[in-house]
Amino acid sequence: MTASTLPFDDLERVYERLAETLDALPEAQEGPFLAQLALALAHRIPDVSQVEAAIFEARRASEEEG
Amino acid sequence: MRPAGRAESDSLYFDYPHFPFVRPPELDGATPRHRVAIVGAGPVGVTAALELARHGIDCVVLDDKATVNDGSRAICLSRHSLEILQQLGVDRRFVAKGLGWTRGRTYFRDREIYRFEMPHSDQERFLPMVNLQQQYIEQFLIERAMESERVELRWQSAVSGVTQDAEGVTLTVSTPEGDYALTCDYLLAADGARSLVRKALDLTLHGEAYEGRYVIADVRLKSDFPTERRAFFHSAALPEATILVHRQPDDIWRIDYQLGPDEDPDEAVQEARIRDRVERIIREVMQERGDWELEWWSLYKAHTLALDDYRHGRVLFIGDSAHLVPIFGVRGLNNGLADAVNAGWKLAWVLQGRAPERLLDSYTPERRGATLDVFANAGKSTRFMTPPTRGHRRMRDAALALALHNDYASPFADPRQVTPYTYAESPLTLADRDAFAAGPRPGAPLINRRLGDDDFLLDHLGTGFNLLLFGEASPELAAALGEYPELAVLHLGVEDSALGQPLPGDAALFAAYGAEPGSAYLVRPDRHLAARWKRPTAADLNDALITALGGA
Repeated sequence: MTASTLPFDDLERVYERLAETLDALPEAQEGPFLAQLALALAHRIPDVSQVEAAIFEARRASEEEG
Repeated sequence: MRPAGRAESDSLYFDYPHFPFVRPPELDGATPRHRVAIVGAGPVGVTAALELARHGIDCVVLDDKATVNDGSRAICLSRHSLEILQQLGVDRRFVAKGLGWTRGRTYFRDREIYRFEMPHSDQERFLPMVNLQQQYIEQFLIERAMESERVELRWQSAVSGVTQDAEGVTLTVSTPEGDYALTCDYLLAADGARSLVRKALDLTLHGEAYEGRYVIADVRLKSDFPTERRAFFHSAALPEATILVHRQPDDIWRIDYQLGPDEDPDEAVQEARIRDRVERIIREVMQERGDWELEWWSLYKAHTLALDDYRHGRVLFIGDSAHLVPIFGVRGLNNGLADAVNAGWKLAWVLQGRAPERLLDSYTPERRGATLDVFANAGKSTRFMTPPTRGHRRMRDAALALALHNDYASPFADPRQVTPYTYAESPLTLADRDAFAAGPRPGAPLINRRLGDDDFLLDHLGTGFNLLLFGEASPELAAALGEYPELAVLHLGVEDSALGQPLPGDAALFAAYGAEPGSAYLVRPDRHLAARWKRPTAADLNDALITALGGA
């Protein structure tokens, strides 16, 4: 794999920051917020196959959860 | 708590000793002056007593009970703690009885999503973790203390008052045969979460209590499942609860399960409720078919609370009296033992006039620093195990779901087990002047290395300060070492030595310590590194020793 990824310490910080941000939103806004966040993040990734892989991973995890 | 009809000391596997009350001289009018009194004969208090004895200091230990702890409570001893026990000369019983482990598994929706393996190699004498019920831990330590002429254990002796002045500390002790006053130079408060000494000095713990409440229950069950830590999230049997399972000696299994936010804790600890939950966990979560018996249970709350200062004049707080930490990561007992050793050697050096009293000023920054580090790590563990808010729960479940198929999310499920704290910022520690490519950094504990069959570097440490000397020393340093008769020199990589103990040391050992011929590590009595150099001079060593004893 050649694409660089976020170090785990930073991923942990993102986890905490997102937890706090979700808490600050009304529960009904969670879905729209996460969709907007996904688009904003995708905009920053120059390789669309990376974005599609992420969509696949998240979709697969959601199916496991359901 | 025990099942109905069984007394607190009526265990399925453990014979509770009875410690008789022995009438002390104070009750007959004598007024002996004790050097050190320790309140609390739990694992932390007795470890402190053995550490003081190791350095030649007498002490008296007071406990209101007539036996050891009622339940298994703290069950995981870390490698660092086992190395402490080795220095106290009691490690063999712990290793023989305990169950060592290196692995753990995390399950999400009853599927294994992550396996972790703690760092271990054949360079280590001890496994990273050993499971042993607290009663055994206490029993092994107490039996060692009973053999020591320097430790006096006074059972059924409850401390009911504490006062101190510039000269010493006075305790009021209540016994079956009346009250008496006990005076000492210094007091170690090892009397636990509900410390009476803390209350008597009008001190309070500060910090936060997390939301999570857990039941910890022990059952006897025959099972071939190996000794590993298992964590279950969203199991179909109890989807709202996080569940932890640990194996203990004598076919005892520890089951911890989280209570729901609306659950009444008083009802949750009713025997019928415990039996119902435990049955479901054993059958549906652990997938065991054998018969099981209920041994003991207790309720636990996750806290991150600590005193602002661990030393108040002549009173030092060690263990739970100074800090309450969450269970996740097994930090309570292991940090308590490190407190005991830290306070113990420093008190010994001050009482023997080998260090100024200000050496004790380093106790709070070193051990409270360790507590705050625990809080940072345990806080993360606790927020993962018991998410305090909707946002944390959403993120936790997202990380677990992703971890099923993606390794990058697995580390979120890592239990962040206890690691020894590095006293890098301590006033006793000298920062590196020379560049080292490897080896423990200043303030960190020594790392072990295998020297032969059943022979390891740490086996050779002396009682006080140690100097690890790698290869030939400079003539100037070698000449100066004679001025420090109490400094134990471990001379590595030489056949013979006029300077100290000659020990084998191959290129791999030198590399592990980033050492070259002439390099040296100065090690405190608690195995933490005071300073290290590539080519030290006599003046370097002298300065480091003065700094490590509280400064000039």
